[in-house]
Amino acid sequence: MPESNNSDAAQSPRLSSAPWLAAALSLPIPGLGQTLLGAMGRGASIFLAVAISIAIILWQDLASLFSLIAFIWLWNIWDAYSLARGTTRSFLPPLFATLIVVYVSGWIITEIEPDKLFGQADRAAPIARGMLSPDFAEQESESRKERGAFEVHCSNNPPPTTTTRNDGATITLSSSCGEVDDTLLVEGNGFWPNLETEIWWANPIGQEQRLTKAGEQISITTDDQGAFTVEIVVPLAIPLSHDTGEPQPHAVQINQTRIIGGWQISENGWLVIEKMGETIAIALVATSFAIFFAIPLSFVAARNLMSSNPIMLLVYYVVRTILNIVRSVESLIIAIVFVVWVGLGPFAGVMALTIHSIAALGKLYSEQVENIDFGPIEAIRTTGANWWQIVAYAVLPQVVPPFLAFTIYRWDINVRMSTILGFVGGGGIGFLIVQWQRLAQWEAIGAAFWSIMIIVALLDYVSAKARERLV
Amino acid sequence: MLEIKNVSKVYKDGTRALNNVSFTVQDGEFLVIIGLSGSGKSTLLRCINRLIEPTSGQIILDGTDITAATPTELRQIRRDIGMIFQQFNLVKRSSVMRNVMAGRLGYLNPWLSLLGIFPKEERERARRALETVGIPDKANNRADVLSGGQQQRVGIARALMQEPKLLLADEPVSALDPATSHSVLKYIEEINQASNVTILCSLHFLSLARTYATRIIALKDGIMMFDGGPDEINEKRFKEIYGEDAVRV
Amino acid sequence: MEKQKETQLVLRYGRNVIIAIVIMVAYAFSFNVTQIDLPRLVTDFPKAVPIIRDFMTPDLLARAEQVESYVIDYPVPCGSGQEAAIPTSGPRIVPSQLCSEPKAVITVEGFDLKPNTDVQLRWLLPGDRRLRSAKSTTDAQGYFSAEVEIRPIVAAKDGNVTRLETELQWESGSLFPSETLKITIAKIVETIFMALMATTFACFIAVPISFFGARNIMGRGPIGTVIYYIARTIFNLMRSIEALVMAVMFAIWLGFGQFAGVMAMTVVTIASLSKLFSEAIESIDEGPIEAAVAAGANRLQAIAYAVLPQIIPPFIAFAIYHWDINVRISTIIGFVGGGGIGLQLQTWINQLAYNKAGTAVWAIVIVVIILDNVSSQIRKRLV
Repeated sequence: MPESNNSDAAQSPRLSSAPWLAAALSLPIPGLGQTLLGAMGRGASIFLAVAISIAIILWQDLASLFSLIAFIWLWNIWDAYSLARGTTRSFLPPLFATLIVVYVSGWIITEIEPDKLFGQADRAAPIARGMLSPDFAEQESESRKERGAFEVHCSNNPPPTTTTRNDGATITLSSSCGEVDDTLLVEGNGFWPNLETEIWWANPIGQEQRLTKAGEQISITTDDQGAFTVEIVVPLAIPLSHDTGEPQPHAVQINQTRIIGGWQISENGWLVIEKMGETIAIALVATSFAIFFAIPLSFVAARNLMSSNPIMLLVYYVVRTILNIVRSVESLIIAIVFVVWVGLGPFAGVMALTIHSIAALGKLYSEQVENIDFGPIEAIRTTGANWWQIVAYAVLPQVVPPFLAFTIYRWDINVRMSTILGFVGGGGIGFLIVQWQRLAQWEAIGAAFWSIMIIVALLDYVSAKARERLV
Repeated sequence: MLEIKNVSKVYKDGTRALNNVSFTVQDGEFLVIIGLSGSGKSTLLRCINRLIEPTSGQIILDGTDITAATPTELRQIRRDIGMIFQQFNLVKRSSVMRNVMAGRLGYLNPWLSLLGIFPKEERERARRALETVGIPDKANNRADVLSGGQQQRVGIARALMQEPKLLLADEPVSALDPATSHSVLKYIEEINQASNVTILCSLHFLSLARTYATRIIALKDGIMMFDGGPDEINEKRFKEIYGEDAVRV
Repeated sequence: MEKQKETQLVLRYGRNVIIAIVIMVAYAFSFNVTQIDLPRLVTDFPKAVPIIRDFMTPDLLARAEQVESYVIDYPVPCGSGQEAAIPTSGPRIVPSQLCSEPKAVITVEGFDLKPNTDVQLRWLLPGDRRLRSAKSTTDAQGYFSAEVEIRPIVAAKDGNVTRLETELQWESGSLFPSETLKITIAKIVETIFMALMATTFACFIAVPISFFGARNIMGRGPIGTVIYYIARTIFNLMRSIEALVMAVMFAIWLGFGQFAGVMAMTVVTIASLSKLFSEAIESIDEGPIEAAVAAGANRLQAIAYAVLPQIIPPFIAFAIYHWDINVRISTIIGFVGGGGIGLQLQTWINQLAYNKAGTAVWAIVIVVIILDNVSSQIRKRLV
């Protein structure tokens, strides 16, 4: 606050008449002069800024940043002097210096390397492709593989140059035997028409490789009659060390795939649906379990109901503390315990989410109980009602709608959480995601990803609408 | 001297908020505009500093045609026209000082003002403005800790920073209780009399209008129904302006 | 009229019945797929006891280990070397025979040693190899005795005699932070910084794009309205992905480590903050803008005086709130390769070192509770 007055400094007349003394006090301990001048917050902030900066710099061994500490330190002395004379300096310069220290060290500690984002873009490409073409549905299709025999090293009796398949498709080679690197003309007739067709090579032990020309994979399209012609080079399909000079039965292979049906959900798609169902179910069951425990706890954790005697107050503090501790442990960590306890699977996830939700709901519920209007309670109390009757007639009617709203909200959060419980074996779609990550099945992950996005966003919207109506 | 000549305003949805309104205000007048909600009072006041563009007609302040001004000229003209709002229009999170200083923006170097740097004489002026409205000690408070009456006084101080020739007050007291209303209107009256600032003030209550106005204009559905002294409104006129069922307060 | 009412009543009744059935089916389905087996919680509780106990007893402090050792030459078989000279007073180790043949059993006694201390006997074989032998504990007088079998491997080799070492080991000195605690603190600080960097990066991007998701700014023309809806949809979709799921991808892209975690949190935080920011922009009061314009302010001045003061405090409050959330997330983002304390926690869990893991969990609890309080205090003062 550049132009704020300082009534603070006026409170300490002795120091404010001796600005050099204030400066001298801030020299050994930053902020001490300011504190003794009455500017407690200012002094404490300066001290903390210097202390934290020095700690980080020493830990990370960033000696070059010590000039900034020196700057903050000097500024602090000047500030104490100025403050004693009645002017409050802008704290922006030391704030900036502190922020530089924090962010420079943060950058180093968290190993930020922006060049990786672009330098390793090749690793991101398959992931991005997977996201854009999720393996959720596929079209029913059939494929065919037809081979035309070819001998490397001609024997006395080479195979026929034309091979005819059952459905009348023929493959004709310009020569049915030859050497590696020979050029070969392949003619096909009677294949499925107007279709992208791949040319492969099969070696004597059945291994297949796609043929390339100038580094590009050969791909041709059949014409209306299902005919094509293509020039290929005989590849080295058997290592030279294994080449005895004997004739080897290789083959040219024609691969075609055509779509014969409509869209249908793929195998991975069904898995995603199944596990998404499990995910939502985990959240539903966990939230329901949590309600049963959270409601009684919330009354015990509500100060206004528990402050009538010291024992109840003690119970209140104990319950509140436990709720706060449990709430701050992520359900994923709790899930680890339950995976050991009840074994892998959705049940462990349910229990972990339940525990976390009891704490979270217990806190939200108890805040509602604390916010209730005391008028009705007084009215019921004057009729001579006991504690339970007060709760039933004056408290419950006030808290049920907000309780419901929070429960829906919690279910929504729990659906999000249960998408990741599978990472530690707690069931749900997270299990599929880690598995597919290990197998680099990015199309499948894409399907999971989009399902989570759409379903969670939808539930989010529905729960927001439901809560609007309740509150 | 402010001349309003045949001003009309038709909103996009077809509402005719002002219908051919003409009148002239002499320097130093305290002109009160009365009328029901939706009668066009706010539209009329906002047309004068062109917060709302009039559809047709002319508004001339001391020989300058406001309706024909370019954006730069308009900002120059607006410096001379202070405005006070029904909802105070303060930035609630900013300090009172910064809110008052906002009234001086038309005079200040734009770049320095963005950084929050003000010359000493401007700070002195702001302090005097706050003194005028009786809250010099609130300068460093956040605006939202002030009561409604105090907030409106900050609004007046902000308008004073402009050293206006003309002060527009759009229902300045309708968000306040009766006692506070009088105190706020007294400050406006004081500005009118001490600095000879022309006042155009819209009010809801006839009783307030008759206490403070030197002249009253009444609007009904965008048409001027009455123009005369505060004593000239009799029962018949009243029914014309406020409708048959209205009861005087 | 009466009839219509009746139909309505029947319809409403029918609707409620359908809703009830849907809910019951949903629960039946959910119970089925989640394999709820409550009795297991009790029957398998013994499995959970060690892990819970270790979690409750974190490895925080350690004492310096002190060691005292006595070494004597011990020829096997007799005559293969010099026999040791045994002192008659002071702390001393006395074998029942000063040398012996292989497979013999001797008694080793110790006198005037440090009382009530663990004793470990060891053979120091020729060639720097060690062979553990008997264990014992000294009594209040500093005496112990242990039976030792002379195994053939103890025999002297190439003229080098085996020596018998008696080591007393005890903890002493003041407590100091254990290695686990030091690692935990370093990793927790790292985690806080991960959250800070992610939140900061997200702010830089969320501030400009949040204007696209603010109806009062974009809703002025058809193109703007379309952009508004697109922006809001993207925010909502991206927000629904957990940072951990994002981290699965970033860990492959950027390699396992903090950076992947930071980027994953950044992406999710951008979506979330953009939505909150745009709601803050939507809720600004237009009055002060009008007042500034009426006073002759230009566009920039109006933004500086009437818009920024209204949106900066909620922006900062939301950013701090998200930093708080990100600290929570970054404690677990290491599970999928995001670095920070989560990675360390997982390592310890995989090693079944649950009391080390417990240290990490308690550290997380403390930091999260503190930050939670600090951030809500700051937010209260800002808004």
